[in-house]
Amino acid sequence: MFDDFAFSAFVVTWLAAGIRLAGPLLLAALGEIYAERSGVLNVGIEGTILLGALGAYLVTYATGSPWLGVFGAVAAGVISNLFLAWMYVTVMANQVVVGVVFNIFALGLASYFYRIVLGTSGNPELIPMIGSISIPGLSDLPILGPILFSQSALFYVSIVIVLIAEFVLLRTRFGLNVRAVGENPRAAANAGISVVGIRYICVLLSGAGAGAAGGYLVLAQIGLFRDTMVVGQGFIALAIVIFGRWRPIYAALAAFAFGATDALQLSLQLFSFDVAPQLLLSLPYVFTVIAVSGLIGKTAQPAALMEPYRDR
Amino acid sequence: MLPAVELRGIVKRFANVLANDHASLSVLPGEVHALLGENGAGKSTLMQVLYGSYHADGGEILLDGSPVHFANQRAAIHAGIGMIHQDFMLVRPFTVAENVVLGLDGELQLYEEKRGILDLAGASRRIEELSTHHGLQVDAGARIEHLPVGVQQRVEILKLLYRNARILILDEPTAVLTPQETAKLLETLRSLAAEGRSIIIVTHKLHEIIEVADRVTIMRDGKTVATVAKEDTTEAELARLMVGRDVLLRVRKSPLKRGATLLTTQGLKVNDDRGEEAVSGIDLSVNAGEIVGIAGVDGNGQSQLVEALAGLRPVMGGQISMEGTDITHGTPACRKACGIAYVPADRRGVGSVGTLSIEDNSVLCNLGAFTGKFGVFRDRARSRSHARDLVARFGVKAPDIRFPAGKLSGGNLQKMILGREIMQQPKLLIVEQPTRGLDVGAIEGVWAELLKVRDSGQGILLVSAELEEIRNLADRILVIFEGRFMGELRPEDADDETIGLMMAGRSGKTRTMTHV
Repeated sequence: MFDDFAFSAFVVTWLAAGIRLAGPLLLAALGEIYAERSGVLNVGIEGTILLGALGAYLVTYATGSPWLGVFGAVAAGVISNLFLAWMYVTVMANQVVVGVVFNIFALGLASYFYRIVLGTSGNPELIPMIGSISIPGLSDLPILGPILFSQSALFYVSIVIVLIAEFVLLRTRFGLNVRAVGENPRAAANAGISVVGIRYICVLLSGAGAGAAGGYLVLAQIGLFRDTMVVGQGFIALAIVIFGRWRPIYAALAAFAFGATDALQLSLQLFSFDVAPQLLLSLPYVFTVIAVSGLIGKTAQPAALMEPYRDR
Repeated sequence: MLPAVELRGIVKRFANVLANDHASLSVLPGEVHALLGENGAGKSTLMQVLYGSYHADGGEILLDGSPVHFANQRAAIHAGIGMIHQDFMLVRPFTVAENVVLGLDGELQLYEEKRGILDLAGASRRIEELSTHHGLQVDAGARIEHLPVGVQQRVEILKLLYRNARILILDEPTAVLTPQETAKLLETLRSLAAEGRSIIIVTHKLHEIIEVADRVTIMRDGKTVATVAKEDTTEAELARLMVGRDVLLRVRKSPLKRGATLLTTQGLKVNDDRGEEAVSGIDLSVNAGEIVGIAGVDGNGQSQLVEALAGLRPVMGGQISMEGTDITHGTPACRKACGIAYVPADRRGVGSVGTLSIEDNSVLCNLGAFTGKFGVFRDRARSRSHARDLVARFGVKAPDIRFPAGKLSGGNLQKMILGREIMQQPKLLIVEQPTRGLDVGAIEGVWAELLKVRDSGQGILLVSAELEEIRNLADRILVIFEGRFMGELRPEDADDETIGLMMAGRSGKTRTMTHV
C-alpha cells in the first residue's frame, strides 16, 4: 500500500506532530501529579491552561518576548490556583465541583480580558513564538532526527522538567512529604509535616504546570489566542496522570501516546482513508474515558485523594 | 526529683463538651506512668494536648520545670516528646525507613543530608543499629503494608527512638497484640524507662498497669481523680477509682443446655476488600442454647467471616447453612427470615443510621412489621411503642425516642442495636466486638443480656478480641489466626499462654514454646 518513502514520511510527520501535541499535556499532567500525590484532585487545570495561554499571549503581545510570555503563563497559573488551593484546602469544598465551576469561570474570564485588552477587532494579531531548535548532529539522524531533535525549545525544557519532577518526588524530603500527605495526612501531621502547607504548594505547582501548558499552546503551537483553544486538554491531562500511575516519567510516556493518537488524524489526512475524521478526532477522548473509568490504576491512586484534612 | 513533664490544670473544651476539666499529671524521668480511665474519660485528649495536636483552653505544660507552649506536633517532637497512637500513624505503602525519617527536616533534621535529598541508606543503617540495641527486630527496607501489626508497633517505637524522644506516650498500645507480644512490649518499655526516659501508657486494662507501671493516674469525666503508686494499690481499688463505684465483672452462667444445630459452615472461604483470601476454609457450627466464642487478634479474618455469615460479603467457596437450609448466597434479608440477627462491630457505620431517630432505627431492620394501611404507610403508633419498650427494657439513656441515634454515646447506641436485634427473637444472634469502647458499667449490662439470650435457648456466635469477654461468656472457644481456626478450647482451659500461642498461629495440639 505504501512505498518506503511515503511510509517514512507518514511516520515522521505523525510522530513529530505527536510529540509537539504532547508538550502541553505533559506539563499540565506533571503539575497535576504533585497535586494528586498530595491528596488534591485539581480538576481546575482545564481552566488554568486557558488562563495560562491568555497570560502568555498578553505578556508576549506587550513585551514582544515569548520567553517573558512563558513567565506570564506560569504566573497566571499560579495566581489563579491560589484561589483553587484556598477552596480545596482551607474551605474544604468538594474538589470536583470547585474545579468544574472554576473551568467555566476561567472561560468567561479569559474571553473578557482578551476583549478588554485587544478590543473586539476580528483578527487577532499573531505574536512571536518560541522557535524550534535543531540539535546539531542528532537532528540529522534518519527518522529519529526530525521526530525528536528538531522540536521547539520548550519541548527540551519540558523533558528536563520531567526528570526533575521525578527526582524530587521520589528522592527528596519534599517529595516524601508530598507522598506521605497524599497517602495518610494524619500520619504526616503527626510526624510534624504541615499538611495544609504541602497541599497549598502542590496545588500551586499544578497551577504552574497547567499555566505553562497554556503558554506552550500559544508560544510553541499556535501563535495566537482563542478562547476555544484548550478543548479538553486539561481533562486529558487528568487521564494521563492515571495512565502514568502518578509517576512523572510514566506520565511523560502516556502524554506521548496521547499526543500520537491526537496527531494520527492529522497525519492520516496525507492519505485518503475512508474513515470519518470526526471518528479519529474522538480517539484521545475515548482513551480518556477509558482511563478515568476506573478500569486502570485504582490501586496506585494516592489513598487520601480528594479527602480533605482538618487540622485539629 | 524534678518531673520530666508536668501538666497543670489542663482544660480542653470541644463545642459544649468538657473533655479535660483541670486535669493534672506529673511524670518523673525513668518512670513508667499509666494514665487509666474509661473510654471518654479524656485520656487521649490530655495526651493530644501534650503532643501539640490540640491547644488547651487553660492550664500549662512544664518540661523539666520550665513552661512550654506547643503550637503543633512539630514543636512537641522538637522538645523530645513522641506519641504512638492507638491506630498507628504509618504510611502503609512506604518502607520502614521512609516512615521513620518522615518529617525530620528543618529544625528536626538529625543527620546531615544534602540539601533535602533523602539518605535512606544512612537511615536504614541507623535504624538497624537502634533495633539491635533495643531488641526490636525490623527490616528497614520492608513496606509497612506487608508487616504484621506487632512489627508495625516496633516501627512506631523505633520512630520515637530515632528522634531520641525522652517522653514516650503510648495510647492503648496492647489493643492489637497477643498476650505474648504484650509481654514483650512491656519488657521493652521497662528497659527504655531504665535508660531514663519517661513512658506514659494510656490504657483501660488494669492488669497491664499492675505489671508494668510505677505510678498510675486515674481519669474520670475529664478530671484526674488520683495518682497512686503501684505498690499502694490493688486492681479492685483502681477499678473503683476509674468507674466511681464498685465493679464486679464476673458473670454467673447457668449450666449449658445445648439444643439442635443451627448454623453450620463447611470450608467457608471469603475475600477481603483487596481481593485477598481472608477466611481460608472454616468449618463452624453453632447450636441452640450455647455461646460459641471466636477469639483472635483483630484482622485475622473474623470480620470477613462474620460479614459473610450476615450476607454482607460474597462467599468465594464452601457452604453456609441454617437449620439445614443452604443460605450461602442468600441476601441479608434471607438470613433474617431464617432467624439470624447480627450486631456489627461498626455501630455507627453498619449498625445504625446516625441521623435517624431512635424510633426509626429501632424498626429499621423490620419495617414490614411496622407498616399499616395498604402496606405502604408507616404505623407510627406501633413503632413508637416498640421504641419505648426497647429503650425501657435495655436501659438506653436518651432524652426521648426522637433523639438521633448518632448522638447517643457508644454504650447507649450498642444497647439500642443489641436490643433491636434481641427483640426480634432470632434463633441465632451473631455479635461482633459487643463491648468495644464501652465503659465497665455498660459491659456488665451487655454481658447480662447476652447470657439471657443464651439461657432462653437461642444460639450466639460471639466474636471478640477481648479475652476476658470470651472466657466469661463462651461455652466453646475457637481461636482464629490468618483465616483459619487454630483449635477449640473449653473456657476453663483457655489460660493466657495457651490461647495466646494459638492467637499467634501455633496450633492447639502441637504446643511448642518457640519465641513469638
